[in-house]
Amino acid sequence: MNTTLRNTWTVTLHELTDSIRSRRAIVLLILYALNAVVATLIFVKVLHEMENQFEKAVGVAQAEKAGGTTTAMWKNRHFRELISHLVGNKETAEKLLETPPLALFFGWLSFFYTPLLVMLMSASRISEEIWSGSVRFMMFRTSRLSWCVGKYAGQALQLLVALLLSGLAAWITGWCRMAFFDPGANAAAIALFSLKAWVYGIAFLGLAMGVSQTIASPNVATAVGFVVMILFSVVSMLAEWVSRQPWQEILNALDLLVPGGHKMDLWLPDAMHAGTATVFLMALGAGYMLAGYARFSRRNL
Amino acid sequence: MNTALELKGVVKTYGSRRALDGLDLAVSRGSIFGLVGSNGAGKTTALAVTVGLLRRDAGSVSLFGEGSFDPLRHAGRVTLLPQDSRLPLHARVEDLLWFYGRLQGLGEAALRESIDEVLEWVHLNDRRRSPVRTLSHGMMRRLTIAQAFLGRPELVLLDEPMSGLDPREAARIRAILKRHHDAQTVVISSHNLHELETLCDAAAFIEAGKLVRQDNMDALTRRSRRVTFYMDPASQPLPMEELKKALPEATWDQTLGGAELTVKFFDETARAAEVNARVLEVLLRHGVGVLEIRRGSALESEYFSATDSHASSVTPLPPSGSATP
Repeated sequence: MNTTLRNTWTVTLHELTDSIRSRRAIVLLILYALNAVVATLIFVKVLHEMENQFEKAVGVAQAEKAGGTTTAMWKNRHFRELISHLVGNKETAEKLLETPPLALFFGWLSFFYTPLLVMLMSASRISEEIWSGSVRFMMFRTSRLSWCVGKYAGQALQLLVALLLSGLAAWITGWCRMAFFDPGANAAAIALFSLKAWVYGIAFLGLAMGVSQTIASPNVATAVGFVVMILFSVVSMLAEWVSRQPWQEILNALDLLVPGGHKMDLWLPDAMHAGTATVFLMALGAGYMLAGYARFSRRNL
Repeated sequence: MNTALELKGVVKTYGSRRALDGLDLAVSRGSIFGLVGSNGAGKTTALAVTVGLLRRDAGSVSLFGEGSFDPLRHAGRVTLLPQDSRLPLHARVEDLLWFYGRLQGLGEAALRESIDEVLEWVHLNDRRRSPVRTLSHGMMRRLTIAQAFLGRPELVLLDEPMSGLDPREAARIRAILKRHHDAQTVVISSHNLHELETLCDAAAFIEAGKLVRQDNMDALTRRSRRVTFYMDPASQPLPMEELKKALPEATWDQTLGGAELTVKFFDETARAAEVNARVLEVLLRHGVGVLEIRRGSALESEYFSATDSHASSVTPLPPSGSATP
């Protein structure tokens, strides 16, 4: 194996084992799983309340568990036509309606919290090693690029495990608390959304690691990471709202450079949109990381 | 190429301050080389520039005559014990060395052997499964020394290696360095000049980022050209006429009211042992009480005199000859 690749892999493995030893990975997994369980419980409760109100309004018996009425409605032809009309594309709407409601909720949830947790856990990973000086024990043993890419890959693997675990937590919660729960369909859809959330999170991970390479203080790096993330969200929001030229074109172009600009494409069930979004988001993650590396490669350690 | 490390005109600035101001340095292969200088003289910066931790502004660095440090070319061949850097606290001692060794490109068998060896050197074999955070300050220091010798690198740069070590461990590390460095080149930056004097084959005095003097230890301390006798102050006056007859080619320097007598000899063929024999014979014949004999002068006093112009504005030096042997 090429020395650079071998060292990158060595750093990746060390990043994983170090996270486990430092209990950082345990905290990460607990945060993701707890988040999924609590949010799923709230979702099931709210859904149950809504279903009970609906059942009361139409004069049928109220179900003890959530999910029965929604599942029936999900299969109703008129409801499906309504959703198709709202989405504006029958094929997309049909594919979305093939997705169980819990999986859709999990998708929304994981897309919401993944960037936040990534920034919280990863924006300090490199800066804390610069801060403590422990980076100096490695920089005469491997190239700076191998080390940074290894750290990035290690964090990405942790994120994947965390998202799959949170998906499992949501699936178990749904299975225990919902009526008419299709385990197979839910497992497949939740796993797919976990992977999509991972792809979305990879872009933010690149941002976190990029920031971490440019700032030596772990706390400042985390704060700056959050500020940049908020600025990116503002760009995406403005790109959606502003319709005045030439601002709309400028904002649309800028939106392509932030993860939010590719979020909806990743959500869409067709492979063309999701695939394109995946390529864009992976490239954005790598781009942010390498932008930070441009500074890290030249900085005094 | 017989040079392990060569710095030519290296400049490193931090803002408006010049940490290295055209530093020149040449370290021979296989030597133990001391870097001596006051705080802020540029020793740590010079070592960090050598392995690319700091970017130099001008000048050149050459390792083994192959050009400046390149992690792909020199990984495993050059290592550093950085000053004031913390090891990752959560890793276990053995796992951390394993990680470092793998990055250096060591194979499993060689790495296992090397870890056993360096942990034995620094007396940490019984703590190999302990997390770094559970080690005492001295133990962590020993671990940083161990990592620097992992895989028997060709050039080892040690920045204040003995600071924080208890006297027994420091002596042990010194003995190991002296005994085991084999074909390795070891550069040691230290404020402990006695330690460097006993350990090093050569040294350089650095002040304000510049080389003040560099030579082998014999030349720096004039071991082959000077012997000092320390005598009982009651044994006065000394038989100077007879001494001069016994060693006509030497020059004589009496200080501390005659209690300290330095013999300087410039004849290349003269030997310190021969000088001792001739001078002692005369002194003992005249009943002079000889308390101690020292070959050469202390590295410390040579450093003070060489760097006097740089340091005198900052630190008052002890008066000449006041140091007790």
